[in-house]
Amino acid sequence: MTQPCYFLKLAVLHALSLSLPFTISFAEEPKESDYYTITPIQAPDGAVIEGGGIELLPDEKVAVCTRRGQIWVIENAFSTSDQPAKWTLFAEYLHEPLGLAWNDGWLYVVQRPEVTRLRDEDGDGRADLFETVSDGWGISGNYHEYTFGSQFDKEGNLWCALCLTGSFTAEALYRGWILRVSTEGKFTPTASGVRSPGGIGFNAAGDVFYTDNQGAWNGSSSLKWIKPGGFLGNPNGNVYYPFSDGAIGNRPKDPPYTEEGSRTVTERTNIPELIPPAVIFPHQKVGNSPTGVVPDLSEGKFGPFAGQVFVGEQTHSKIHRVFLEQVNGLYQGAIFPFLSGFQSGNIALRLSDGGDLFTSGSNRGWGARGGMLSSFERINWTGKTPFEIHEMRALADGFSLTFTKPIDKSTAVDESFKMEAYTYLYQKAYGSPEVDQVTPMVSVESVSEDGLSLTLKVEPLTKGHVHELHAPGIKSAGDSQSLLHPDAYYTLNEIPN
Amino acid sequence: MIRNSLLALTLCITSSIPAIGENDKILELGRLTYQSCVACHGPDGKGVKAGDLEMAPSLHESAFILGNQPDLLTAIVLKGIIKADNKYVQAMLALEAALNDEQIAALIAYLTSEFGGERRSVKPNAVAKWRKEYAARTSPWKRSDLEEMLREATAPKLLSNVKYSLHYGEWKKLPDFSSLKPAATGELPGNEISLEPAKNHKHGFGMVFDADLTIPESGEYVFSLTSDDGSALIIDGETVVGNDGIHPARTAGMKEALEAGNHTLQVQYFDGGGHRSLSLSVKGPGKLGTFWLSTEREQSKKAAQSYDPIFLTAANPGEAIVHRAFLPDALPRAIGVGYPGAVNLVWDADVLNLAYVYRGEFMDASPHWNGRGSGSTPLGVDRVKIAHGLPFQVLESLDEPWIPFSTTKVKYERDTADPQKEITINVKHPDYQFTGYRLDEKRFPTFLYRYRALTITDAFAPEEIDGVTSIVRTLTTSGDADDNIYFRIAETGPQTKSDDWIDAGGVKVRVSGAEPVTRKVGTGNETLVPISGETTLTITYRWPSPLKP
Repeated sequence: MTQPCYFLKLAVLHALSLSLPFTISFAEEPKESDYYTITPIQAPDGAVIEGGGIELLPDEKVAVCTRRGQIWVIENAFSTSDQPAKWTLFAEYLHEPLGLAWNDGWLYVVQRPEVTRLRDEDGDGRADLFETVSDGWGISGNYHEYTFGSQFDKEGNLWCALCLTGSFTAEALYRGWILRVSTEGKFTPTASGVRSPGGIGFNAAGDVFYTDNQGAWNGSSSLKWIKPGGFLGNPNGNVYYPFSDGAIGNRPKDPPYTEEGSRTVTERTNIPELIPPAVIFPHQKVGNSPTGVVPDLSEGKFGPFAGQVFVGEQTHSKIHRVFLEQVNGLYQGAIFPFLSGFQSGNIALRLSDGGDLFTSGSNRGWGARGGMLSSFERINWTGKTPFEIHEMRALADGFSLTFTKPIDKSTAVDESFKMEAYTYLYQKAYGSPEVDQVTPMVSVESVSEDGLSLTLKVEPLTKGHVHELHAPGIKSAGDSQSLLHPDAYYTLNEIPN
Repeated sequence: MIRNSLLALTLCITSSIPAIGENDKILELGRLTYQSCVACHGPDGKGVKAGDLEMAPSLHESAFILGNQPDLLTAIVLKGIIKADNKYVQAMLALEAALNDEQIAALIAYLTSEFGGERRSVKPNAVAKWRKEYAARTSPWKRSDLEEMLREATAPKLLSNVKYSLHYGEWKKLPDFSSLKPAATGELPGNEISLEPAKNHKHGFGMVFDADLTIPESGEYVFSLTSDDGSALIIDGETVVGNDGIHPARTAGMKEALEAGNHTLQVQYFDGGGHRSLSLSVKGPGKLGTFWLSTEREQSKKAAQSYDPIFLTAANPGEAIVHRAFLPDALPRAIGVGYPGAVNLVWDADVLNLAYVYRGEFMDASPHWNGRGSGSTPLGVDRVKIAHGLPFQVLESLDEPWIPFSTTKVKYERDTADPQKEITINVKHPDYQFTGYRLDEKRFPTFLYRYRALTITDAFAPEEIDGVTSIVRTLTTSGDADDNIYFRIAETGPQTKSDDWIDAGGVKVRVSGAEPVTRKVGTGNETLVPISGETTLTITYRWPSPLKP
C-alpha cells in the first residue's frame, strides 16, 4: 500500500544526493539541528498553549485546541510568512479538547464528553454555534478519561480513542474503545482494547493508528494499527461489547489473567481478534509516552522521509520517525529517533503538505524533559539531507536497510552492526521488563551498487520480538559521517515468506 | 513536611560532652525522668507483658536508641506514637507537657547509655528548638513516619563533591549557563544542593550545581524537581527533568533507568524574582525509598497541595462565560455559566437540565488547569438545586414516580477475568439527545436538545426583580408532543405557593406558560407542568434577598 510513495521518495532522494558533495561540508559532528530547525511560535502574553490538537484551515491558517479548553486560530504561522504570528481566540472554556478537524466550514473539536462542531455565524471571529455531533460514549468523571480525535478519514469519519477510566478499569460506556463519528454524527464502535492513548492519526495510505501508553497489558508503549473489528490488547473495556449491538461482533476471549502473564504472539493464536502493536516503542530507550501521529504527505518538502509517519513523545520532548510495512495482513515496522529538544511535552502534531510540521504540548500532570509548561513550535527541514537509515524492511531471513545517502561500502561489514531481540510480557500487571532476550548473529548479505541499500542476514529472527539494531560502524560515502541516529527498533509481528 | 524540618534540625543539634560530675547529675535526672516510662517499658527497658501482648516494645532493640538518633528520640518523647495496630497494648503518650527541656535531654542521655550501649546527648536548648518547631503538631507520630525518618536519616548520601556557580541576570527561562561567566563559584558542604550561596542576592540570579551521583543499585529512579522559577536536571549530560519558565513552586518528575555506580548530576536553576525555591529528591527502586538531594524539602509538598486560584472572567464586560469541566453536584458533562451581575448556574448536558443556580464569584479553574486536572470549583454562595435529573417524563397518571436518571449496571473487571464488582453507570436516556448550544451577542447560551419528537431550547438570563437577584429561564418546546408529557419545575423546599411564587427553599420559583400541578412525593412535594407540542415556559428563580456584598 505504501509502494507509490516509496518510489516517489526514491526519486526525490536521488535528486538530492546528486547535489550533496557540493553543499555539505561539516567541520564538526553533524547534529539534528543541521537538518531540522525548531521554531517556537510566540503565543499572546498570558496564553497557555497546551496543545492537544492541531488542524490546518483554509487561507493558510492553523488552529490549535488546548488542554485549558481554548481554540486559537493562528495566521502567519507557516515558514513562508515573514510576518509575526497573529493569534485569534476562536473559542474557550471547552472540556480538555484533544482533537481538531476541519470539514465544510465547520471546525470539529473532540472534547472529553463529545464531538462538537463550531462555527462563527456572526462573523466576529468567535464561534457562536456549538453543535453536539456525537456524545455516544460515557464518562464517569475521572481525569484519566481522555478522548483523542483524528482528522476526517477518506470516508468522512473522525476517529476517537477513549482512554480507560483509570489504569485498570472501564467505568463508563466504551472506555477503552475506538469509535468513528461521521460529519453528521453517525456513530460506529470500531475496535476495543485501548488502554491510554496519546494521539490518533493516519499513515500515508490513510489507515488509522494510535499510540498507546505502557501499563496494564501494554508491556511497553507502542503505535497500534486500528483494524476495524480488532481487539487491541487491553480487555478492561470489553465489558461494553453487549452495548454495541454487534457492531464489531462478539466479545473476544480474555487474555490470561495469570500472575506470570503471557506474550502477545502467543495470545494471537488464542484470540483471533487480537491485533498486535504495529511498532513497539521500547520503554525508556526511545521514550516513555508517545502521542500524536502524523503521516508525511509533503512529497519531499519535509525532507527524505515522505510516506513515513512521525510520532510525538511527551516525556522525552521528542519526535520519532516510524517506517511501516504490511506483512501477512498486519502492519509492522521500525521506530527511529528523529528530533529532540522541544520546549515542552509534545502532544499534538500536524504536518502540512508544504512541509511545515507543527507541534504543541504540555508537561502538566506528567513531566516532560523540555521543562516548559506549554509550547507551540514549528519544525522545518533545512534542505540538507541527514545521513540516516531510511527504511528497515523485514525479509524471510533478515532485514533490508536503505539509507538516505550512499554508504561507504567498505564499512558495510558484519562488525558494523549489533542486534538484540526481546519482547515484553502481555500481562495484567503494569508494564513489563524486556523478556525472552535473544542475541542474533548479524551478517551483511549484500550491498547495492549505488550504496543506498544493503541486506542483513539475521539468525535467528524471532516472531513477535522487537529487533533492536545498532549500526555504529556504518559511514557515509565521501564525507565518512556516522549515521545521525544509528539505532532502529523493528517489531517483527510476522516473518515474510 | 514533618521529616523535613526534623532533618533540618539535625544540623543544629550537636552532641555535647558534659563536664565530669555534671555527667552523673544528668544521668540521675534521666533515671528519675524514666520513671514516667517504666509502667510500659519496664524498669529494665525490656517492655512489660500484658498477657500475650506487650504494653510497649523493648528499648534494647530500638533502632532509635541503638543508632545515633538523639533528634528522633527527642521527637518521639515530645509527641508520642499513635497506636495503629494491636502489636502493643498502649499508644505512647506525648510527654511534651509533662517534661521540660532538661528532663527530656537527660532522659535521652539515660536511655542511650543504659539501653543503647553508647551515650548520645542532646542539649536542652536543642530540645527547646524542636519543641517550638513542632508546636503546631497536635497528633502523635505514626510508626511509619518514624521508620521513614529513621531510614532517611541513616540513608547513604547519593551526592558528593557538590560544586556550584552563581550567576546574576534577568531571565524568563534557563539561559545557556556555559556561555556565561559566573559571579561566584564554590563547593557546598553537606552533599546537598542549596540556594544558600545566593541568600544575600535579592532576585535575578541563576545557579548551576555539579555533583557526583552514586547510584546504589541498578533500576528505575524517579526524580522530583521542584522549583520557583525554572530548573532542569541533567544526568550524565542528558536533560532528564525540565521544569523551565517563570512559575510558582512546581514539581516536575521523571523516571530514569540508571545503572549502579557513578554518574554526573547537574542542576540548573534561575530565579526571576518573587519567591524562590529549589528542591530535588529521588525515589529508588524496590525498598530503597526516597533520598533528598537538596537542603530544601518542603516546597514539593506545598506545591502538590494547593494552587493559586484562577478566577474565570468573561472576554468582555457584560458577556457570559460558558465553561465545560467536571463540576461538583452535576454529572461529568456539566457546563458552568457565569452571567454578568454575579449570577451563575450549572447546566448538566448528561441530563439536559439545570443542575443548580448560585451567585457571587463564578469559578476557580485552578484544580482543572493544574496537575492532571480534576475539575473546576464553583465559587460564590447561595447554591440551590431546584429539580434534579431529567427534565421531562411521560406520566400516565400523577401517581407515577419521577425517574431522574438513566442508569444501567455492568460488571467491570480489574485484574481478573471473573466479574468482580457490579457498578452502576449512567447511560444516555434513549428519549433525549443533546444537540449543543448557541451563543447570542452577549455570549448567553441557549441549550438545545431533543426529547422524543420535541425540539427543546433552554435559555437563561439574569434579572433583578425588586432589587433581588433572579434568573429568568425560557424553555420552548416545538414539534409533536406525545400525550401526558410533564416538565418538572421544582422539588425542593415546601413547594407552597403564594402570589404566584412557589417556595423551593433557597429560591422562589414562578412559572408562566403552563399550569403547574403540585403533587406529594414521599415526604415532600414537587411541582410539574404539562407540556403540549408548542409551549413556551417562563420560569423565574428569585433568591429571597439581595446578594450580600
